[in-house]
Amino acid sequence: MSEMWINMGPQHPMTHGLWNLRVKIDGEMILDVDPEMGYLHRGIEKISEDRHYNEVVTLMDRCCYVAGFAWEHLYILASEGALHIQPPERAEYLRVLCDEFQRIGSHIMWYAAFVQDLGLMSPFLYGMRDRDLVLDLFQSYTGARMTYEYMRVGGVRSDLPPGFTDRARQVLDWLTQRYEEYDQLCLGSTIFRKRCDDLGTLKAADCVAHGVTGPMLRAAGMKRDLRRDRPYAVYPQLDFDVAVADGADVTARYLVRMEELRQSVRILRQVVDWLDRHPGPVMAEQLPRWLGAPYAPVGAEGYLLKRNFPKGVGFSSVEEPHGEAQAYVVNEGGEHPYRVKFRSPVFANISAARQYLVGYHVADIPPIMGSVDVCVGEVDR
Amino acid sequence: MAPLTLYTVSNDLVSSLLTALGNAIPNPVGAWLKSPDLITGLSVLVFAAILLAASMLNTILLIWWERKLLGRFMDRRGAMHVGYAGLLQNFADGLKLFRKNTFQPREADSLGFYTGPAAYMVTSLILFGILPISSGWNSGALPLTLLLALAIFSFAPLFIFISAWSSNNKYSLMGGMRSAAQMIAYEVPILLAVVAVVIVAGSFDLTTIVYEQQNYWFWGPLVVALIVFVAGMLAEMERIPFDLPEAEAELVEGWNTEYGGMLFAFFMLADYLRALVGSILVVLLFLGGWTLPTWVPAAATSFPLAGIFWFMLKTYLVFGLFVWVRAALPRVRTDQLLRIGWNRMIPLSLLSIFLAALLVTVKCLPFLGCVPSPGS
Amino acid sequence: MSEVEAKPKANENPILFVARPMATAARQFARSLVRPSTIVYPFERLEDPKFRGQVAVAPGKPIGLGEVWDNYRGVHALNIETCISCNLCAFSCPDLCIDMVTVPGGDPKHPKKCPQIDYGKCSYCGFCSDACPEGCLTMTTRYELSVTKRADMVYSPQRLNEVFRTRLPMSPIRLARPANEDSILLDPPLCIGCNACSRDCPTECITMLDIPKPEAKPGEKFPKRIWKEPVINDSDCVRCGTCISVCPKECLFWGTRK
Repeated sequence: MSEMWINMGPQHPMTHGLWNLRVKIDGEMILDVDPEMGYLHRGIEKISEDRHYNEVVTLMDRCCYVAGFAWEHLYILASEGALHIQPPERAEYLRVLCDEFQRIGSHIMWYAAFVQDLGLMSPFLYGMRDRDLVLDLFQSYTGARMTYEYMRVGGVRSDLPPGFTDRARQVLDWLTQRYEEYDQLCLGSTIFRKRCDDLGTLKAADCVAHGVTGPMLRAAGMKRDLRRDRPYAVYPQLDFDVAVADGADVTARYLVRMEELRQSVRILRQVVDWLDRHPGPVMAEQLPRWLGAPYAPVGAEGYLLKRNFPKGVGFSSVEEPHGEAQAYVVNEGGEHPYRVKFRSPVFANISAARQYLVGYHVADIPPIMGSVDVCVGEVDR
Repeated sequence: MAPLTLYTVSNDLVSSLLTALGNAIPNPVGAWLKSPDLITGLSVLVFAAILLAASMLNTILLIWWERKLLGRFMDRRGAMHVGYAGLLQNFADGLKLFRKNTFQPREADSLGFYTGPAAYMVTSLILFGILPISSGWNSGALPLTLLLALAIFSFAPLFIFISAWSSNNKYSLMGGMRSAAQMIAYEVPILLAVVAVVIVAGSFDLTTIVYEQQNYWFWGPLVVALIVFVAGMLAEMERIPFDLPEAEAELVEGWNTEYGGMLFAFFMLADYLRALVGSILVVLLFLGGWTLPTWVPAAATSFPLAGIFWFMLKTYLVFGLFVWVRAALPRVRTDQLLRIGWNRMIPLSLLSIFLAALLVTVKCLPFLGCVPSPGS
Repeated sequence: MSEVEAKPKANENPILFVARPMATAARQFARSLVRPSTIVYPFERLEDPKFRGQVAVAPGKPIGLGEVWDNYRGVHALNIETCISCNLCAFSCPDLCIDMVTVPGGDPKHPKKCPQIDYGKCSYCGFCSDACPEGCLTMTTRYELSVTKRADMVYSPQRLNEVFRTRLPMSPIRLARPANEDSILLDPPLCIGCNACSRDCPTECITMLDIPKPEAKPGEKFPKRIWKEPVINDSDCVRCGTCISVCPKECLFWGTRK
């Protein structure tokens, strides 16, 4: 067989979304790859310019469908910077609670999809089963399982229901036991190690050159985690470690994510304890009228333009489960953000595909791309 | 009294029917109806129909068994709504596939595209005419049933490759290539492992091999051969961890990507037919077929159809082992698969032949047990 | 906070190279034999309080939701009787899926309007029920709404009222009003006392009070007007802005009351 290009995507089991990986192969060997994104572009950044600050939150949940809270938090941090609003401390703890549970949910989802790419069906269902418990928790205080619309500029929508913290602790205990099972099914299996060791290697220097962030970067030995290096919300008050590994291969990424799952449990135990001890308001006291809850509209067109609200720009960067996400919000004094711009970590991570795919087998594409943790919703936005 | 086999039963049935009919109808039609040639021909047809029905029924039951087992392995329930515990679910699925439109890619080669699935199905079905399910099942006493079964079993890569190539799809072609390479690579260790069994049993006839195991099942003394045979069968059946030809993560659906509707159902059924044959071969060669250990009370073997019952029970348990493997292990890579085949399995199978020869010579091995001398 | 090096545990015995995952799968098999984790959905429903009481889950698995399922944001329920036609739900909808349509019960000059929701567009964000000042538009736990015709996705106020009458559990979340809420203020010189605001105010918190007609100085002409002025009761006002939009002279505006 001579060389040929095959299109893996946009409808292909490997893609886990809607994008196209063009692969040039010779037999079973990969000679060249060419990722094509843009099939899921919905213009979220442009739509945001036509929405009130809080309404944009509904779009953020659709930005990344497995890590909606991380993106809500990202946008809300930038908006609060642009609008000069400080949320109460309890709201910040609640946001961290959302973030870390979301990280668990996202990483378990990644685990499920990743092992399924390797042909392991049962851990896929174990992962989905355990993620469901996290979604149950989300539903109990936001009212939805994926599109939460929970965070607001200046705080969060509502406080936790009674008994939430006990249920959260139960879930954390259950998850801690399940992590061991995950490891036994993957690391304990020689076939898994043979498939994943020394696969898809991307060294730290290449990661930096291509803007690759998140677990891929930490798996290459780079000790960088925005929660520690550029802290936001209440992360400085919390005690946790940054997971790193030095293999730079698929196994190392697996190890980093599994360690992050454990660290998230550790963070969440502290957060839940804090929330138990410190009741308080979850919305800022002083808000512009149109941001207040309940969410009231602007009665007469153009009314805000008559008034002088402070202008400003907001920038935030958040350690999303997939990597470092960044947001930039410009407030020109109107009821809508003037401009919203996001930096998607996965976009950078899959743009470097040529670096970590060429030279391996066709059968290696699913585990390597699986270890990148692709979420196309945020790539195309 | 001649042993009661499935063929004699159908022969008796047909001949009594035709004789009654021929007596009622005046000659020459009556005489023609009573002619032995017609009776023989019709009873072969009836025999084949019963065999077909039994094998298809078992295949569909096997799919149900896998779905239920896999469900429990995956912390879910499996099929549960159509029929009792979902027993009829697969019939419903088959009916759905039957009603679907079959289509063909524009550039596909019609001849190969349509003959591939049919031939794959037929060669898998032929095997059931050969395999003895119990003492009263097999049709004829062929001396080389084992060899014949393995020969027919190894037709498959040819037809898979034909249908993959004629689909005019790159994924299908890659899947077909992988399938051919994998099946051919694993034919060799399978045959060598079988040679070990043949050495100990002293026969290529499956019935004889089973009767040789009346006292000692071969899995104990020939455990190395068993391991090689099971691993090889996993590869031949294209099941996880050796399901590379249809590795859905990278090759969509492998060599049957372009097939839909009933043609897909043909492939699906034939896959499970081959899985059934593989399990049956493991039972026949290593687990004593329809016999039970001597210490089992006689009541367990004396009820009607006891042989078939125990045989099918063993078969389904062996298939359960395959399902267990599927639930727990990831898929290997092409080069790793071939390396396992050529570098590990073939030396192991040669070792098993050596062990078998040793066993036949010295009769007893420490920790491995004893065998009776062939033909005793 | 430091780094923790993630390392695999000491290498496995190669002879047991498939034994450990298979043992794990077998353990799960044994657990699932008692009861798998799945909930048999059409027959067992978490939102059904009867099922919740007897929910049997896989051994050791934390029970998911319990009574807090009621927070779920599903199909809306509308209590037509208490709806005040304030338009806030339609204003706050980011998907523009709420239309205010006339329902019987209002007087002919001043028809009563209630929300009609197009579920083909709705994203279940809950802004409308958060905005509803009377708590008459809430979200319920109903989530099954497959239909065969697109037009059936549009729920009229009467249909939403039927959902309300089924007495499904409804979201108990009520949001507090912000402390520094703006009020509706009047620019007195522009007002002509036309009564439009008071007539259309859904909460009837605007009363028209007589104001004294000032003495006309020589040469000065007053605009033609009724000598009344609206007075807004802030504690009853729901800040819907209807008065602002109906004011013919644009004399009402948002601001902070001194």
